[in-house]
Amino acid sequence: MKIVREALAGTLESSDLMVRIAPREGELAIVLQSEVIHQFGPQIEAVVRGCLAKLGIAEALVVIEDKGALDCVIAARVQTAVSRAVDAWTADWSVLS
Amino acid sequence: MRGAPVRHERSIGSRRRVRVGPLFRKSIQMTAELQSYTIDPVQEPAEREDVRRFLAVCGLDYEAGVQAFVVFRRGNALVACAGLEKNIVKCAAIAPDLRGESLGLTLLTEVSHLAHERGHSHLFLYTKPDCVEFFRACGFYLLAEVPDLVALMENTPIGIRTYCDRLKRLRQPGATIGAIVMNANPFTRGHRYLVERAAAACDWLHVFVVAEDVSLISYRDRYALVSAGIADVPHTTLHHGSEYMVSRATFSAYFLKEKGLVENCCTAIDLLIFRNHIAPALGITHRFVGTEPFCPTTFKYNADMREWLMGDVSPAPTVEMVEIARTECEEVPISASEVRRLLAADDFAHIRRLVPPATLQLLEAKYRAPRISAA
Repeated sequence: MKIVREALAGTLESSDLMVRIAPREGELAIVLQSEVIHQFGPQIEAVVRGCLAKLGIAEALVVIEDKGALDCVIAARVQTAVSRAVDAWTADWSVLS
Repeated sequence: MRGAPVRHERSIGSRRRVRVGPLFRKSIQMTAELQSYTIDPVQEPAEREDVRRFLAVCGLDYEAGVQAFVVFRRGNALVACAGLEKNIVKCAAIAPDLRGESLGLTLLTEVSHLAHERGHSHLFLYTKPDCVEFFRACGFYLLAEVPDLVALMENTPIGIRTYCDRLKRLRQPGATIGAIVMNANPFTRGHRYLVERAAAACDWLHVFVVAEDVSLISYRDRYALVSAGIADVPHTTLHHGSEYMVSRATFSAYFLKEKGLVENCCTAIDLLIFRNHIAPALGITHRFVGTEPFCPTTFKYNADMREWLMGDVSPAPTVEMVEIARTECEEVPISASEVRRLLAADDFAHIRRLVPPATLQLLEAKYRAPRISAA
């Protein structure tokens, strides 16, 4: 799928995260800010990258403000942001979880 | 009881319940649920006056430019609000007795979503320096700060960095690198003279056209005229302006209580962003301006430039400010404001002497004041 517009998902509340996604040519750039970045930074980024790979997103700018969300929450917020940023959702929900 | 005002936009009217954190349950008004909704201050005067009173309690002025407010109530009491003027968050306040309970995160979440619905994803926010840490936790990042007075933040950790990385690719070698930021509303022979003089004094000159589209002449036209007007000046790069220079965001008059001081600061923020971020990206050593005989805002901007670009107010290298006396036409300095005055009076005979042919042509074709027909 192709990111065609900017989209926003999530909140800044504790145990949640806010995901901003925007079109970007030629690369997948992830900018991560997290309250727990020292402990879980690489893990959060792996979840985000894995989630985007399953959705077939190879080009995007993703900016994340994390407040200590669990992996399942991270995946859900990323999926929602993507669903709002594409024109046609072609991914199979059943393989996403 | 407050009546139910007419609500317009999709987000307006969705009086949604907001998750209440455990800390809230301990607060005094235990039974009342926290509600948030959006108001249009023009359409809803009762709500607007409530917001005004609430802001006064919090030591902030109500700003007339705000187009939408997110309002939080507990029971009937207004406990938090934040306003949006296009992409600038203003009038953000939380009731003193509810601070420190993460209501700010909820407030800024709501504002972010509201702004996004209204088509603004890149947000700016003015605040007092001692609140920078608080807004940092809400996803805002510091752009510039005037100690003890005001700070400007943006809602992305990579905004100014990405912009400066793009500028760095346009860096030119040389010991003396000049910059001019011009609105060119419209481009005159005076602008041409300033660019020529500055370019002659530098190894390279970077010219920026103010991108904010609030001037008489549209940005597109202003940029095209500057581009045509300086195309033959050697060693010069023309840049599109950005939100980081002389924009509504960086140059916004922000009214805290101490108005005089803060009006000083709105130029300071713009100039500090230039000195701390933009000048280092391009290696700019000098900034050129024309002397300003007419426009008080520009006059003040020029005066403040000396302090904020050259003073001991930033760890970034100083940028030498060079004021060049305006070129004159019949002993009157050429200025864009004079051209606009003549345009309003439909005095093209005089305009012809102040502007290059391309500007004259455009003004005649597109910006001629409508004649009042003699009935």
